This record gives sequence, structure tokens and C-alpha cells, in this order.
Amino acid sequence: MPNRVRDILIVGGGTAGWMAAAILARRLARGFGTIKVVESADIGIIGVGEATIPPIRLFNNALGIDEDEFLRKTRGTIKLGIEFRNWSKPGREYFHPFGAHGTRLEQVSLHQDWLKLRHMGDTSSFEEYSLNTVAARLGRVSAASDDSLSPVFAYAYHFDAALYAGYLRGYAEARGVERLEGKVVDVELRAEDGFIRALRLQDGRRLEADLFIDCSGFRGLLIEQALKTGYEDWTHWLPCDRAVAVPCESAGALTPFTRSTARAAGWQWRIPLQHRIGNGYVYCSRFIGDDEAAATLLANLDGKAQAEPRFLRFTTGRRKKFWNKNCIALGLASGFLEPLESTSIHLIQKGLTHLLNLFPNRECAPTVVDEFNRVAIAEYERIRDFIILHYKATTRDDSPLWRYCGNMDIPEALAYKIRQFAGSGRVVKYGSDLFASPNWIAVFMGQEIWPERYDTLVDQRDVATLRANLERMRETLHRAAEAAPLHETYLAQHCGG
Amino acid sequence: MIPERVQSIAIVGSGAAAWLAAATLARLLKPEFCAIRVVDTPRAAAGAFGEAALPTFHRLNGLLGINEADLLRRTRGTYRLGARFSDWGRQGDRYFHTFSPIGARLEAVPFHHYWMKLRRLGDATGIEEYSIATAAAKMRKFAPPGPDRRSVSSLYSYGYHFDAGLLVRYLREYAQAHGVTRIDRDVVQVHVRGEDGFIDALQLDDGSRLRADLYIDCGGAEGPLLRQTAAAGYEDWRRWLPCDRAVGIACASAGDPPPYSECKARESGWVWSVPLQGRMDCGYAYSSRHVGDDEAAATLRSELPGAALAEPRLLRLAPGRPSKFWDKNRILLGGSILEPLESTGLHLVQTGITRLLTQFPVCRFSPGDIEEYNRLTIMEHERIRDFLILHFKATQRSDSPFWDDCRRMEIPDTLRTKLELYRDSGRIAMFDEEHFGEDSWLALLLGQNIEPEDYDPLADVLDIGEVRAALSHMRSLVRDAVGALPGHSQFIEAHRAQPSA
Repeated sequence: MPNRVRDILIVGGGTAGWMAAAILARRLARGFGTIKVVESADIGIIGVGEATIPPIRLFNNALGIDEDEFLRKTRGTIKLGIEFRNWSKPGREYFHPFGAHGTRLEQVSLHQDWLKLRHMGDTSSFEEYSLNTVAARLGRVSAASDDSLSPVFAYAYHFDAALYAGYLRGYAEARGVERLEGKVVDVELRAEDGFIRALRLQDGRRLEADLFIDCSGFRGLLIEQALKTGYEDWTHWLPCDRAVAVPCESAGALTPFTRSTARAAGWQWRIPLQHRIGNGYVYCSRFIGDDEAAATLLANLDGKAQAEPRFLRFTTGRRKKFWNKNCIALGLASGFLEPLESTSIHLIQKGLTHLLNLFPNRECAPTVVDEFNRVAIAEYERIRDFIILHYKATTRDDSPLWRYCGNMDIPEALAYKIRQFAGSGRVVKYGSDLFASPNWIAVFMGQEIWPERYDTLVDQRDVATLRANLERMRETLHRAAEAAPLHETYLAQHCGG
Repeated sequence: MIPERVQSIAIVGSGAAAWLAAATLARLLKPEFCAIRVVDTPRAAAGAFGEAALPTFHRLNGLLGINEADLLRRTRGTYRLGARFSDWGRQGDRYFHTFSPIGARLEAVPFHHYWMKLRRLGDATGIEEYSIATAAAKMRKFAPPGPDRRSVSSLYSYGYHFDAGLLVRYLREYAQAHGVTRIDRDVVQVHVRGEDGFIDALQLDDGSRLRADLYIDCGGAEGPLLRQTAAAGYEDWRRWLPCDRAVGIACASAGDPPPYSECKARESGWVWSVPLQGRMDCGYAYSSRHVGDDEAAATLRSELPGAALAEPRLLRLAPGRPSKFWDKNRILLGGSILEPLESTGLHLVQTGITRLLTQFPVCRFSPGDIEEYNRLTIMEHERIRDFLILHFKATQRSDSPFWDDCRRMEIPDTLRTKLELYRDSGRIAMFDEEHFGEDSWLALLLGQNIEPEDYDPLADVLDIGEVRAALSHMRSLVRDAVGALPGHSQFIEAHRAQPSA
């Protein structure tokens, strides 16, 4: 076919660029033209997304990557969820696990059974019904599914994003992707339709392609600077606009979870890797200065800092289109959502999935481009809502940031979800939701949005039996969690040495 | 604290919708927890229309503990792999819409793109050779799918055809055995509370009053509840779904029943035939703007495969939806027939009841419960609506004013988006709450000659020789699997002989 895309040029070689190169090399192995990545050693990799969510395993599987090797190469660890501290109020802590809580009894969701018992004064924590949460607190985890003694967890990873990008670079280069060292200084547009025709590098080289993938980071070299796509600013919902990051030495047991601690002007992440801990403070510059933010971060590390703190600036929001003309923006070039629920790498992955589902011809038919944007934007906005929920559902009034968040207006799709849960414990599902009912339930209840009532169908059942069933479920889950190896032991066995 | 919950439900209606709702509620709600009564209007005619069910009926079997062989024996039922459509795109065309995937993905690219590519290169194999249920239906074979998920014999599903009257009796007996009270009366008046517009009571034709916390109206657009409390309003879809009347008749069947329904496009609508054991139920759904009742009945008679067993019955269809399915303490459920094409009637009753039970209402009827129920129900109906509209829109017929109007009609934006993406790229856009999956859309589009301009470019990645070999292998798997199936009648016969479990 004469109108087929032959040449693909990826601009930027961070996590997004090399993920794109790897999966495109894998899927377009034969019958296509060239895939090139242009990156500059002068421009640093942001690599904020060191924590992931379970679908990353699908991506690695699609590439045919061996998990143990991957963990070894990226100094990765296993992640069962996120521990949130001080979000709804100082001193309160909850766990957002991957996977569901317990098993449904009859036709009612388990959290409704639990809510009824809570109404009756029972004090068991809902977290005791999550295998992931119980195991995470014990520091136990297993990724093996062939070992029948160990329970099957829903898990993801923490890894060093720079090492992951390097690993994928090796993968892509071995499959014919060409890496060009250079800095893009000019973008040439076609007069007739505004498509990108070619890029010019500092050394004078001119690179033509049919399809351009913009992985250039926040600045959006192609999607924004050249194509003027426009940006939708979400600062009024997600006011944090800076981050400061620093790795530190490990200390103590290796936790199989990310920790997110709310602070006066934002929140701090803690991501344990095999060889160090990644830390950062995401904050709002209206409420705290850079120096104070860095000092706060440095005062709250497990071990000795391993580098000077690095600062990042961003504006939460998204490009008006992720795909414009013959350019697709991935990663930070497409927008910024803070890494509170570890979705950065996932969004890159989803962008690539959609691109492969809707792979265009050279003319990039508007129907195909519109469909990509329809699906990808809906998904992006539903993740945005989930993140906003963490800020909105707070009773904190100890600092200007939290007072602002508690009172701010939120998107209607989220307000509707909150109203529904607060009324009846029902979780509204939209087709484009990445996070499913168990995730929303964990965060709603973790942030102390308690439903006014429970599903009255529970009243059909005998309370004593219900109580006994739930107790048995808790015991079963606890025993299962105890059967898993310690995180350190698992890693030593599977990717040690 | 927890407000007082619903303790009594009155269902109004006499058809399968009413008794399906009653049976399901009775199974899930203990009698002492919630009393269920059905006001079963006695003058409603016994069903002469065959009723067809989608594969989702299996959920009901599971929930109610229905033994399938027993159900079919008592409803003169047959199995249903799907439907055969004749004369829709052009006169003389034929295609199947069955409940099985079409082919399998290769290298993560959907099957049909490879098929489209090979066809451009001159390959003449039909898309139906890649669907086990279609291949089986064509040969009038049937057995339930096998349990081995790796085998192609597991990759399909099936529904049923029932005698509608016998299905009602079956569900009614089930419901009554589970504590539902049947009230053999007509509703003559609906008493509405002045202060809030809630239904206060139903006035019955013996002078008594029936009170309940919640009223489920399965009487349709003509039913007493909607008629008398019609503040809610109705969104008319006749500009898209032109058939607003139907005439039905039962006739003697000619030969063995096929394991599928038939839908034949005709001058001003379409004719169905639903195979039952020893009988065929036929009907003509038509547009009253294009043809008169007498002429429609005559058309139907000329289409009958056997001798008529009764006088034709007229039925009004109500293509559209209420602006609120749930309003105050009244829920409209499945009573009105959207458009019998694709047999979604029983399915929509099932999903309505399930949705109601995902959050059992408390007496004060929280606006949140009602809002969410309506949001989902409306979306579900609109997606099915789009699928139905496409049958009428995707035609090349120009032999009658009816088809000229269909071909030229404006369609909803959601459907237009879907159609345009497909035309450009062979891809199917999916929206929230779609019942019919990509393969259903594809069967319809291809069956009605809507050709995309291109296939997925990624289908060019795999070597053409490998593609040919893979597709040839898929066809042989389908052929072998179908070869091993018994005939539909044989299967029914074999299972009829077994005593009820």
C-alpha cells in the first residue's frame, strides 16, 4: 500500500521514548521502514515514574521480557500498593492495595457487609480483607505464580527508570532501532496541511519521517512548540507545580510498597529499590519555597542522601490533543499528572496501546486521530479524578494548601462519584476508568468518606453467620499472607547475585 | 442511621417481563424481607409471539437454578445460535449474526483485518467460515459449547427460542412457588400522592386498593402506570427505528427447527420467524406510515412457511425510551418493545433487575439511586438503539419508499462516529455500556455490505504466507468442530427423553 507509514521518528530518549521504540520494534518487526530515536546526552531524563501499577507486566510480557532479569537489571522491587499517611488528617494512615478485598458473599459487595457490621459497632479494619495489604504490612510478597505454596498477588514494580530506559534501549537497538545523538533545533512543517515534514538537528542533519512521536518531556518540542496544540491547565484542581527529588541509602526492611506522606504544602514519595530509596517532595510553590521544600525532604529520609536534591517544575494538565496531525505525544509531552498513584509509566503504555490499535496511514485520517484522542483523553481525565479525590477528601486545615483543597471545586464526574459513594457506598463506574471499584473503595474509605448507609440487602442475612464468615475470611487471608516469603528473600532467590 | 427499606413491591403486567422480574426478585429476596405481588391483568392475550433470548439468559438459569432441558421441554423451546438476516443490504443477501467470535487475533491484530487483506488479494473464503456458531447454524447443528477453553468448540454461546405464553407460565410457577402473590385483576386507576407525586395505591377492578413501597411497571407504553403518571414523558425514536407496529401469527412448521431465528427485510419492514418445537411463530414488524394493517397481514400470510394456526394478532411497538426509567417509586421495566430485531427484550429486563438489586432501594428513594439507575439504563438502551438503527441505515435497497427513507435518514452522532471510523479504517469504536461486541457490529456491517477503505496497516507486518496458513488452520478448526456436532433436532430429541433433573 503506497500510503503506509514507512519511517517513524521518536524525539526524546527517556522512559517514554524507549518504551515507544521497544514496543514499536517488537510489533513492526517486519515489513515496515525505519524507527529512529533522536536524543541528546545534554538533556537529562526526568524519570519520575519509578513506581508502577500491575498492567506494566502486560507491557513487559508483550516484549517477551523475563521478569527476574528485568528486576535484576533495573534494581527493581515488588510493589503491592501504596501506603498513604496523613492525607485525610494528620496521623491517619491507610493502604491502597492492588487487587480486590476478600471475596463477595452472595450478591452483595464485601464492603457492604463490612459497612453493616461497622454500623453495628464492629471494629475490624477493612484492610484486613486485602491479601495485598496484610502481606505488605508483614513485608512479605511473591511474584511467582508457579509456586503453589504462595498466594497469587496482584503486583507491580518499583524500579530505576533510567535503568529501565537503558534496558529498553538495548532491546530496541537489538531489533533495528537506530539511535541518533543530537539536539533538535528546528521543526519543518508542510505548508499545505501543517503536518511535520522534517526535523533539523544542531549539527545540520535533516530527518524526515511519516510519523513523529514526541517524547521530549514537559516542553513538548513537537506537539506544542511546533504544532501549537494548546494545553488545558488543571492547576485549580491539582495545585502542586514543583517537585524536589533525592535518592537515599536504604535502611531497615525492604517494604513491598510505595509510601506517600502528605506534608504541609504537598506530599512526599518514598520508593524502595534494591540498592537505594527514591524520595521526592511534590509541592505547591504558592505555599512553600524551594529551599524549605528541599529541607523538609532532606529531614525526612530513611538514610543518608546520595546526591544533591534535583528540582522539577510542571503544570498539571494535558495537551488539548495527544495526537495532532502526524505527531503523537507520549509521557510528559502529553501532559502532567503527579505520580501520586504511579500512573506516569502506565499512561505511556496506554498511549502506545492505543497507537498500535489505531495505527495510521501517512495521511493520519481524522477519524482515527479523533478516536485516539477520544479514548485517551477520557482515560486521562478519569485518572485525574482519582488523583484529585486524594486532595479533596481531607479534613486537614492545618495549612493553606489543605484548606484550599478541602474547599475547591472539582470536576462533575468526580463529584458525582463522591456523592454516590457517600450516599450508598455504590461505586460509579465509567467505561474509561483505569482504577476499578476496589481501588476507589480503598481510597474513599481510606480518606474517610463513609457511606451514610449500607446496602439493605445485607439485612436479609443472619448477623452472626455474617460475622463468622468475615472472621474466617480474615484468618484465611492472614494465613495466606504469612505463607509468602519476605520481600528480601524473594528477591535474593529470584534475582540475587 | 439506616432509613426504612422497601418491604413490598407491586409488579404490574402479565408478560414475560413481569414474571421474569417477579421470579428473580423472589429468588433474591426472602418473603419475610420483601413481599412481592404481581397484578396480572387477565384480559391480556396469551402470547402467540415466539420469544427469543440472548445468551445472557444463562445467567438467569444459573441464578434461578433452572434446568435447561426442563425449561425447553415446558416452553416448546429450541436453541438459538443467533439469527439469519435476509435481504437487508440488498435483496438476495444473506448473513448470520451469531454468538461467537469471528476468527482469532494474530500478533494482537484483530482477525478481520487479515481477512479483509486476503480478500483484496483475491481470497474468496467467506467471513462466516471463521465463526463456529455461524458454521453450525448453517448446517442446523447444535450442542452446547465444550468446557475446554483452548478448543474452538468452547468459543461460542447460545440463547433460546420460547413459546412466549409457556415461558410466562414457567416463570409464573417459579415465582409463585417462591412466595410471589398473583393478583388476577385490572388496574383501573392509579392514586398519586398530592404532596410528592409518588404512587400511593393502585385501584383494582374489584374495588380494592393495592399498596406497595415500590411499583414496577411492566405494562409498556400502553400500561396503566405509565399512561396515568406520564409526567415523565417519552423520547420517540421512530425517526430512526421506523417499525411501530407488528402483526404476528403462529403456523405449522415445515421440517426440523433451525437453531436460529430469521429476519427477512420486506417492503415496509421485516418479517421474523422463531422456530419452536413443532411450530413456527412469525411476525411482520412494519412502519404504519408506509403500509396499512391489512396489507401487512396479507404480506405476513404470504410469507408463512406452513398453515396458519390462528388469526393474526396486532401489536403496537414503541421505539423509544421513557425519559426516566425510574421515577419516584415507579420503575418501567421491559414492558414496551423497543424493536424486536436482535431480541433484546428479556435481556433488558434482566439487566434492569440486576441494576436495581445492586443497590436495594430504601423507602425514601434516594435521588442518587434513581439518578445512577437512569444514567446506566439510558446509556444501555442508547447503545442497543444504535445497533438496531444500523440494520435499517446500512442498506443499498431502493425498491420501496420505506427503504429509501431508511437509507437517507440522519443517524445519532455516536453511530455516525462508529460508522465513519469503520469506513476509514475497518475499526470499531466502542462506547460505554455496549451490549453488542465488536464481532456483532462486524457481522452486521459486513453482512450489509459496508466496506472499509482500508484494513489495519499492522496486518501487513506478518508474512502473507503465514497469514494464509493461519487462516486456513482456523477454517479447518471450525470445520472439524462443526463436523463433530449433532443436528439441532437430534440434540433436542436426545434431551427431551431425559427425565427432569
